[in-house]
Amino acid sequence: MSLLVQLALMLCMAAPALPESGPIEKIKARGHLLWGSDAEGGAPYVFPDPKDPSRLIGFEVDLAEAIARELGVTARQSQNAWDSLIPALERGDFDMVINGIEITPQRQEKALFSLPYYIYSEQLVVRKDNKDINSIEDLRGKKVGTLSGTVAQEILTKKEGIDIRIYPGQVQPYEDLAIGRIDAVLLDLAIAAYYGETNPKVKYTGQPVGEGHYGIAVRKEDKDLKEAIDKVIARLSSTGELRKIYEKWDLWDNNQERLAEKVKAAEGYVGIDESKKAPLYTFLPLLAKGAGITILISSVSMLFAIILGLVLTIARLYGTALLSRLATAYIEIYRGTPLLIQLYILYYGLPNIGISLSPIIAAFLGLGMNYAAYEAELYRAGICAVPKGQMEAALSLGMSKALAVRRIILPQALRIALPGVTNDFIALFKDSSLVSIIAMVELTKTYSILAASTLRFFEFGLVVALLYLLMSYPLSLLARRLEKRLKGERK
Amino acid sequence: MISVTGLHKHYGENHLFKGLGLEVKRGEVVVLIGPSGSGKSTLLRCITALESFQGGKVIVDGIEVHPENEKKDRDYAENIRRVRLKVGMVFQQFNLFPHMTVLENIIEAPSKVLGLKKEDLKAQAKSLLKRINLENKTMSYPAELSGGEQQRVAIIRALAMKPEAMLFDEPTSSLDPEMVGEVLSVITGLVNDGMTSVIATHEMGFAREVADRIVVFDKGEIIEEGAPDDIFLRPRLQRTRAFLSRVNG
Ligand SMILES: Nc1ncnc2c1ncn2[C@@H]1O[C@H](COP(=O)(O)OP(=O)(O)OP(=O)(O)O)[C@@H](O)[C@H]1O
Ligand SMILES: [Mg+2]
Repeated sequence: MSLLVQLALMLCMAAPALPESGPIEKIKARGHLLWGSDAEGGAPYVFPDPKDPSRLIGFEVDLAEAIARELGVTARQSQNAWDSLIPALERGDFDMVINGIEITPQRQEKALFSLPYYIYSEQLVVRKDNKDINSIEDLRGKKVGTLSGTVAQEILTKKEGIDIRIYPGQVQPYEDLAIGRIDAVLLDLAIAAYYGETNPKVKYTGQPVGEGHYGIAVRKEDKDLKEAIDKVIARLSSTGELRKIYEKWDLWDNNQERLAEKVKAAEGYVGIDESKKAPLYTFLPLLAKGAGITILISSVSMLFAIILGLVLTIARLYGTALLSRLATAYIEIYRGTPLLIQLYILYYGLPNIGISLSPIIAAFLGLGMNYAAYEAELYRAGICAVPKGQMEAALSLGMSKALAVRRIILPQALRIALPGVTNDFIALFKDSSLVSIIAMVELTKTYSILAASTLRFFEFGLVVALLYLLMSYPLSLLARRLEKRLKGERK
Repeated sequence: MISVTGLHKHYGENHLFKGLGLEVKRGEVVVLIGPSGSGKSTLLRCITALESFQGGKVIVDGIEVHPENEKKDRDYAENIRRVRLKVGMVFQQFNLFPHMTVLENIIEAPSKVLGLKKEDLKAQAKSLLKRINLENKTMSYPAELSGGEQQRVAIIRALAMKPEAMLFDEPTSSLDPEMVGEVLSVITGLVNDGMTSVIATHEMGFAREVADRIVVFDKGEIIEEGAPDDIFLRPRLQRTRAFLSRVNG
């Protein structure tokens, strides 16, 4: 027998036989309960403690800890983008999700839900001086902010004629409302209580609508875990511990009292009404609109970048010492900082100094100004690649430097830069998805909204990827043809 | 017509010209010869102000160009341009504009700089091209021409500006031997028509044939000058003799 086989046998015998173990045993063996949530979502759910940002606090943190305590382990939070918490749960990244997940039929297809732990409803918030919006019936033709993949968004989508603005976080919609970029915000009462009520420029209007339940999600096969969690929720509810948590976060209201009754009767719950599992093509108009906006944003931004890049290059190479230094500084700053931060500053930062840009203008400027720095570098490389003799020949023919640059140097430099510029266009095309953070619903945002609300990440993912490819491929073809033609000219 | 006096030229540490002087009369053909690196190109480039200099002056047809430290002179840029309009330049590397056709190369400067009508310029360019047997290349791009053809177009391009003098910086040095003749014959034709010319070249036969005066350079100095026969048959200096015997093999 070879040594290797002997070794393998020894190893096998040394390993202890593993007992058939369910999810609870695994958690106990591990010593901690892993729960997924998105701390970016904010107060009062799960958010960094303002006094000690390395620590997470929130009513769901308290809830998770209470459940872990009941199971005799500690709770450990796992950060995940809210939109994709359920897919991450299915993938096995954590044991459960507690993060204001509304119990809906679509989600129940993908995950198992505990007894509800909170009754939410949606609260409409408007500016203090607003008089004509008194309920969601008055929203036709208005700009209304909400979060992606929420029940509030679903409610708004069902009403016709509303200009819905999707935000990445809970703070920004209320800020945009206060400065007049949008007319109203519809979001969970718990969010409204934290971010709306505390803003002196806005107020509640009308009764809360669209009542539903938050539940703790576990994987479909983890029935034991669901039952254990149900028991814990029932116990926390009957002992008043749950009430204490909600009171601490100022969330206790009549609804929660009703919930306690329900849980006692363990009578189950009703989800909000469902939109049926519609075939993919019904979503095509929405996706096409997103694609259209992506094309618009990319093209206008690229045009802007090309022109601004040219101005920067000329200032840098042929301008006075001061101009040249300013252009260089611009290029270094824009290349050296993340586009995302630039967009945030442009859209959410500038209002602090009194400049409030609309989302689409902010998108054009943000992408354009960033890419201008890259274009400028490409042009500069192009200009440096034009042989020195070209400028000398032009000058010795009596041309002024400006004329020589315009007629002789730039046309050659731009041809040299063309492949790079085309590649940048394709890159910008994809980077345009970043503007979703400034409430632009382009293709990627459309995807994340649709996928989050239907949980069909895979199908929609393929469709959207295909759409991007359909748009960028002709671009590469065009670029290749242009290059070929230019090469012919030069040979 | 061209007068260079007391010229000082530094390339960093390298003090190339230490008070160089050269006079070229209207209609005169001066040929510069001398070893590689002796400063022939640099002198031509100083005359058209492609190269700045540190002392002395260049006067072309009464227009003065001063050293670079006197640049603040408000007329400096204007004078340079006026000099360049009077003096055409042909480079060793042709330097045709690769993104323009032969015709566009020729009419670009006269139409943009002198503001002449394109139609007239085109007709004129075509007749010039015909004279050098390139009328069928009017619409070609430089990359489609042989080196000899490119250099002949470059000469036409400079002539289209109607200069009063021409500078040639080794116009045949980057050509295959079989193309040298066609370019030299164009230059010879031009010179015979009375064009004031300064020509840097290593083609000694050609130099002897076209020159009114030969100027011998060595290490940034003019060491000897005179009529072609004097220089080639009766050189006064040992350095000239050494140079000539080197180039004649
Ligand atoms: N741009 C430059 N920077 C530094 N030194 C230079 C530069 N151009 C020329 N020189 C130097 O100046 C000297 C004269 O060069 P120049 O090109 O005028 O010589 P040349 O007589 O034309 O030579 P060739 O026959 O090889 O063309 C050389 O020593 C050269 O190294
Ligand atoms: Mg030379």
